[in-house]
Amino acid sequence: MITRERAAERGRARAGTRRAPGARGPAKPDGGTHAASRRTWRQSRARVVSQREYGAGFRWLELELPAGFMAPVAGQFVQLMLEFPSPVLLPRPMSVASARRVRGKLRVGFLYAAVGTGTRALAELPPGAGVSVTGPLGRGYPLHEPGTPVLIAGGRGVAPLLMAAESLARSRRRCEFVFGARTAGLLVGLTEARSRLARARGRLHLATDDGSRGFHGDVVALLAKLAPKLERPLVIHACGPHGMLAAVARWAMANGARAHLAMESVMACGTGVCRGCPLPRSGEARAQVLAEGAAAAALKGNPEWAMCCTDGPVFEARDLDWERVE
Amino acid sequence: MSHVTTRRTPIAPERVDLSVRIGSLVLRNPILTASGTFGYGDEYAHVVDLSTLGGVVTKTVTVKPRAGNAPQRVAETASGMLNSIGLENVGLERFRDEKLPRLRALEATVIASIGGETPEELETLLRALGREAGVGAFEVNFSCPNVAAGGARYWADPARLERTLAQLKPLTDKALIAKLSPDVTDIRETARACERGGADALTAVNTFVGMAIDLDGMRSRLGKATGGLSGPAIKPLALARCWEAAGAVRIPVLGSGGIASGRDALEFVAAGATAVQVGTATFVESGAATRVLMEMRAWLAANGIARVVDLVGAFRAEPAQEERAIAPARNGERS
Repeated sequence: MITRERAAERGRARAGTRRAPGARGPAKPDGGTHAASRRTWRQSRARVVSQREYGAGFRWLELELPAGFMAPVAGQFVQLMLEFPSPVLLPRPMSVASARRVRGKLRVGFLYAAVGTGTRALAELPPGAGVSVTGPLGRGYPLHEPGTPVLIAGGRGVAPLLMAAESLARSRRRCEFVFGARTAGLLVGLTEARSRLARARGRLHLATDDGSRGFHGDVVALLAKLAPKLERPLVIHACGPHGMLAAVARWAMANGARAHLAMESVMACGTGVCRGCPLPRSGEARAQVLAEGAAAAALKGNPEWAMCCTDGPVFEARDLDWERVE
Repeated sequence: MSHVTTRRTPIAPERVDLSVRIGSLVLRNPILTASGTFGYGDEYAHVVDLSTLGGVVTKTVTVKPRAGNAPQRVAETASGMLNSIGLENVGLERFRDEKLPRLRALEATVIASIGGETPEELETLLRALGREAGVGAFEVNFSCPNVAAGGARYWADPARLERTLAQLKPLTDKALIAKLSPDVTDIRETARACERGGADALTAVNTFVGMAIDLDGMRSRLGKATGGLSGPAIKPLALARCWEAAGAVRIPVLGSGGIASGRDALEFVAAGATAVQVGTATFVESGAATRVLMEMRAWLAANGIARVVDLVGAFRAEPAQEERAIAPARNGERS
């Protein structure tokens, strides 16, 4: 459910209320959120600081961004583009896995797999090379929401949750981190997850489909097993394949937990302009947009489809029609 | 190369007169954003100074709001992108009440794109918006490839175009620009029909119908079988259509299709376009239109061309070249 308060907060932000430069404080580490993501993005030239192998075909990329680029919050993404001559035309949305200041400069980390033409070329870039970065884009996880934070990661979906774990640790909030993959070797970023959790005594729970590590089964089965031992209310923040997110969303709705799911989509612009990344709204969300009339429609765009880039990529379980999510 | 560009003394960039006229509308320069690639303008206002562009062509608006097509709506292909958005838009009422006031505040020259499934819907739109302050001109989208009704096929009929424009013309004193589909046998026919109907200008061209198949799933990479192709992939195709259209009419033509640099824009101008639209390039680089403008100005200055209008249509095919380009090849002969 989107409360009226939240709707109003988002409405204000979307109306593009201009503030003097510097009037906005630094992004809150704990989720700084919906309002912060509205039209504060910039397109900047970033510098590759480092790249390294991360196991199982994954790579960790660290970029340095120029002043004026706002610090992203967990769940937000950037549009990353190779410089000329690029083998691909459009930028690619990349979820942010870490953001920190090093000697006053913003450094942003990404976890990616070199699987396509663009990402293979990205993997070739040496330190010092330039890339174009547009962001931060979209709405991140509302990590400030009261309750027991339960972070659920599926495979490479771990990227934004590493950042969420870091943010929660910084604000000394203990969380549960449920991490699942098909097999042990695909639990990428395990060491990082551990070190981030250690700072606020967070707990790591592992699951593999083949039983090669941790719980034998999927993350939802593990969640169901853990939930009775956790203090309610639970606030779930998840990222992973859409099938997994649908299962997490259904579990949350059936068990009275709130769940925020970071979705993926093919995108062109990433900024809400091209209308290229629709996700089906739930009947409830659709009815709400229609019932609230023009004002709500103005801030949500369209009662039928939500845009992954600007309405998301983080959506609350009740806002999407999981039967129709592809 | 044409006589226009040879042996001229370079001039200062600020001395280049970039203004052009589209019907009753004077544009400060020939660079516009293409409909559907710049939202309603305000989305990019924090990164692009809209008042420096020739104009902003807004997302096509229809009488009723439209939800748009089911995913997938975009797919990248070699040097281009396919889209199947399906004219998602906020509808006439919200466009007029919310979007237009914001654009007015941003001091942009607004060209409102309107679309309809019937001539009557276009009339409704013009009755509502035709005298609206803050709209400099209207671009009528006769060429969306992604809607079941009122799309490029429906509007490919020259007689229908002519009749409809004649109906629309009295409803506004602002310039009416007809945006044409490239997917016709002869764009000169649709171009002439629009001119006869009373269009003040043409936009050539909208996206080309295209396809991409995901072999693993044996299905379209879009939610529908086909979409509209845009980006650098279509530039030579669009340029040819623009040149053909411009050669067939006396009204100004706005060139569009794969423009990503000042030189791209100038090729369209040389082919006969009075102004150009930058579209897909904006998805790659939010400031693309601004850069295209700067590059255009710099090239004109370096070549000592004091007025951009002097370059419009500067390219003239040699008669023999033109013959070869248009005449079908005879049997057994290489074209």
